[in-house]
Amino acid sequence: MLWLWGLTVHINFKLLISGVLLSLSQQAFAQVNIFTCEPEYAALAEELAPEARIYSATTAMQDPHLVQARPSLIAKMRQADLVICAGAELEIGWLPMLQMKAANAQVRSTDKGLFFAAEHVDTLDKMANVDRSMGDVHSLGNPHLHFSPERMLLIAKALTKKLVQLDAEQTEAYEQRLQSFSKRWQAASSKWQEVASQLKGMKVIAYHSSFRYLFDFVGIEQVADLEPKPGLPPTSAHLASLLKRAKQDDISAIVVASYQDLRGANWLAEKSSLPVIVLPLSVGGNEQSNDLFSLYDNVLDLLIQEYNAQKLLTL
Amino acid sequence: MKNMKFSPTRLSAKVSAALAMSALIPVLAQAQTPTLSNPTVSAILDGYYQSENRLMAERTEGFGLGETELAFSASIDDMFYGKLTTVFETHDGESEVNVEEAFIQTMALPNGFTVRAGRFLSDIGYLNNQHLHSDSFTSRPSAYRAFLGGHYFDDGLRVSYIAPTDLYWTMGAEVFSGDSLRAADEHGEREFDSTGVYTAFTKFGGDIGVESSWQLGFSYLRNENGLLTPEEHDEHGEDDHEDEHAEDEHGHSHSASYTGKNTYVADFVFKWAPNGNYKYQHLTLSAEYFRVSDFMVPELHDEHEEDEHHDEEEHHDEGHGKDYHQAWYVSGVYQFSPNWSAGLRYGELDAQLQHEEHFDAQELKETELSIAWHNSHFSTVRLEFSHQSNVGFDNDLSDNAITLQYVMALGAHGAHQF
Repeated sequence: MLWLWGLTVHINFKLLISGVLLSLSQQAFAQVNIFTCEPEYAALAEELAPEARIYSATTAMQDPHLVQARPSLIAKMRQADLVICAGAELEIGWLPMLQMKAANAQVRSTDKGLFFAAEHVDTLDKMANVDRSMGDVHSLGNPHLHFSPERMLLIAKALTKKLVQLDAEQTEAYEQRLQSFSKRWQAASSKWQEVASQLKGMKVIAYHSSFRYLFDFVGIEQVADLEPKPGLPPTSAHLASLLKRAKQDDISAIVVASYQDLRGANWLAEKSSLPVIVLPLSVGGNEQSNDLFSLYDNVLDLLIQEYNAQKLLTL
Repeated sequence: MKNMKFSPTRLSAKVSAALAMSALIPVLAQAQTPTLSNPTVSAILDGYYQSENRLMAERTEGFGLGETELAFSASIDDMFYGKLTTVFETHDGESEVNVEEAFIQTMALPNGFTVRAGRFLSDIGYLNNQHLHSDSFTSRPSAYRAFLGGHYFDDGLRVSYIAPTDLYWTMGAEVFSGDSLRAADEHGEREFDSTGVYTAFTKFGGDIGVESSWQLGFSYLRNENGLLTPEEHDEHGEDDHEDEHAEDEHGHSHSASYTGKNTYVADFVFKWAPNGNYKYQHLTLSAEYFRVSDFMVPELHDEHEEDEHHDEEEHHDEGHGKDYHQAWYVSGVYQFSPNWSAGLRYGELDAQLQHEEHFDAQELKETELSIAWHNSHFSTVRLEFSHQSNVGFDNDLSDNAITLQYVMALGAHGAHQF
């Protein structure tokens, strides 16, 4: 029996050593664990804290309103030091459940490791009186903020503050990265502004208010929505009314986000001979959109291509 | 009993519930922008028409109200969260107000621990901790109706822990008073343990790629009051018992129809959506297995064994000698558009009914097909066809039943569980 005892001691000793080493290494290289609700904030975190462990709960192919509070997300949130979400009630249907189940007090309050992007900028379309008969509207304003270059910069600044608060030792590194990001972002923004000027006055029919901030920034007018009411899928009666509207001949395209169903848009496109543009909702929404910069580049590209083609046709 | 039937002795409960409701109405009107920290008030309206009675079901023949609930929840401070759910039910012209949930939960314990105290839904099995209004069928599977009285909520305490791993892994233990899971006590003479139910559970889960997610759970429930009382032989006693059982099977009751000392549950859920996008299409497959064992008191067991040896011919029922009940179901629900979903469920119950000193085998097989129309995320109208065949039940119920039901949510509706 003595050899067995020896073996146990040996194993326990090894376990002990590896345990100590593990906790030491965790202290030496404390890696910030970031959980984001949407991929655009994972991309922003990638810019501002590239050495962090970053996980996005959703992809650009998924509706961020309707997410299952699934086990994998609970497990990820349990380990998170920082949770970044759009806020303005976008995640009201799943985030509270994740917080409840993850039992991680660190990411429950915005005083600590919870960050709502919408709290740091002015949202568009705030509503004083919200009623369910209006559909799935958010009284705190439109939460799909990430296509506003100006707002994203404000969010980046606020997020850096949050990172510094949580990981003060790296303050300098975070500030440097913010500086670098701001510089590149501002340069890109003026380029986008210039490119976007070609699109000014374009009229589109779009699905949901997913691109509210993009249209606001570019100067595109969304004259109608494929959804009869926010959150409700297109009905045939509503599509018929859109077709009537399209016949006025001032609309250039139908814009749909990467996660949205194409059937209504395709039907309308066929009847009205308008083109359908599928824009990536976020980073990862198509092959070209790999980070925030290429996302903007790609979205503007797709719109300009179609707009110019339309102009040529009418000439 | 937690059922607060409208009787003079329970009047105070009724009045206070009514007061609570009227006090909540202004809040309900104001609570248009509940945020994570502001109070959430929600009401669920559930009404139905059912063509036939079903065994052990909460819904009865004709028009009726299902679980019409009013829930109020909020973070109390940075340490505690609280929730109160009141349920209004009508059965055979009798109204009931039940408090289904009234609990506090810790929010800031370190290392993944959570404590919940008060009245709440036990976390055993897959469906039990979910509210009835989120179900895809008009009634719970027979396993739940037979062994847990539909859904098991009780007064007690829970401690749970979630591991800091990428694989979801949680475990917990609960202690409950266990009143609704007490074995039948026709003479009211039995001394029950006041703390009767202990549970332990663990759940695992994760994703398979972007499109699929799963969860696997195992639970154990120990019921100190689950053993049956040996029945007396006099005629009167038997009559009483029959009456009670008839009521259990037919009428409305939150008490379990079958009890035992040990209950084991295994559950599995799998969900799939194209690209993991739940907006348009998604599939949910789930299955659970229940085994409730050790309900015979030792002397009954012995008599039973003898029975078995001596007159096997006489008792031809299969159930003899089995000291367990079991039940299982499998269910599949597919949402094929945001407006339409359909579900199919099949379940079996295999139980032993005490009859003097011997047990008669009972078997119930149920198939349900449900089709639901969702005008929005908050309103559902459901049509369900159910077929059941049974052996050994006293009530000869029709084989087929049709149920038409609506379930709608008012106010700020809380997030759903996986």
